[in-house]
Amino acid sequence: MNAEKQKNSSSNQIDGNLALQILQQIPTPVMAVDPNLQIIFMNQAGCRFIGKNFEEIKGTHCYSIFNSTHCQTSDCRMKKVIDGGERFTARNQVNIDDRVIHIEYTTAPLKDDNGNIIGGIEYILDNTERVRQEQKLREQNKIIMEISTPAIKLWDRIVVIPVVGVIDSMRAQQMMDTMLKEITQTSAKVIILDIHGVAAVDTAVANHLIKIAKATKLMGCRCIISGISPAVAQAIVQLGIDLGDINTNSTLEDALSDAFALLKFEVISKK
Amino acid sequence: MKILAMNKIIEETTIDVCESVDNAVVIYTTRQMAAQIGFNEAQQFLIATAASELSTNIIRYAKKGFVILRTISKNHDSRGIEIIAKDNGSGIEDIDRAMQEHFSTGNSLGLGLPSVKRIMDEFFIESSPENGTLVIAKKWR
Repeated sequence: MNAEKQKNSSSNQIDGNLALQILQQIPTPVMAVDPNLQIIFMNQAGCRFIGKNFEEIKGTHCYSIFNSTHCQTSDCRMKKVIDGGERFTARNQVNIDDRVIHIEYTTAPLKDDNGNIIGGIEYILDNTERVRQEQKLREQNKIIMEISTPAIKLWDRIVVIPVVGVIDSMRAQQMMDTMLKEITQTSAKVIILDIHGVAAVDTAVANHLIKIAKATKLMGCRCIISGISPAVAQAIVQLGIDLGDINTNSTLEDALSDAFALLKFEVISKK
Repeated sequence: MKILAMNKIIEETTIDVCESVDNAVVIYTTRQMAAQIGFNEAQQFLIATAASELSTNIIRYAKKGFVILRTISKNHDSRGIEIIAKDNGSGIEDIDRAMQEHFSTGNSLGLGLPSVKRIMDEFFIESSPENGTLVIAKKWR
């Protein structure tokens, strides 16, 4: 019975030679090292990746070949699996013969039949294209953020500035500049800062808003912050921020009618 | 401070943080993850605010670091979000004071870390000049 079971299970397995061929031909680098980080296996894609034959690198320390940012530091994920970790994936940068390659590598412990750790295995994915794309995305994000904050003259002496996305110190400075310039140019008396589209109001953002409101006040202009949604209101309370005497409104519409009241405007419907 | 318990990780993303654009990525990814596991809009906003607080701190004080965002689970059906912020900066000199309201070494409101602790359910901070600062915060549904 037992023998039969064994026979069955072995018939499910592929023979060692085919397994090796598959491993050799996997189109991404696969490597195994012993506990001293000396290379005991590198598949064909791996040899191509580093541009050497397996015979040349067998037994060499992997760090002397990859020379990566993680090599010989506590970041080395290979060391972590040899020391008992289960599985790690991390981004890294390898330096092979003056070539800098961005990679993502995954490591796992290499165990014998009894489950003892006898080294580590890793496979490497070339990340260069992804890193380039991310760089591009980063630059695009920057451009989107840098698109100047528009100031819209809504009414006589009323200017509205819609704020969308993420506010950082650079952008806050830009908003401040735009607002103060607008105040002198249009002799605005009320500026409405609509933060409805802001992605998160953390303490840094709140700090910027308070500063902007103070500066406008110094220039003899009232600042109303509108677009305080329930989420924003909760965030401000949770953060413990005191907005002081800054006027706030939940909608732009309310802010506008407040502005009308401040300037003693009256909206009358035609009979 | 007590080390937080390990939870089962459902999904994980690491975001390198070194300029304010990265902060935007952290905010949007956090919101998306929080929405995915069913936090309502106000909660999404709060969690994103906490994440933004931590990544802003990295940019402001350490210049460079990373944020790991995870969706986690415990006791089978309880889901949550975990934010890990790590940098290799010079560390926080006096954590107890940094955790006090209105204490800041960097010309800010000094509400950041205490408010992250308030918003999130679990909070852990560790800091040293050698290893930088590590903050782990979790919010359960």
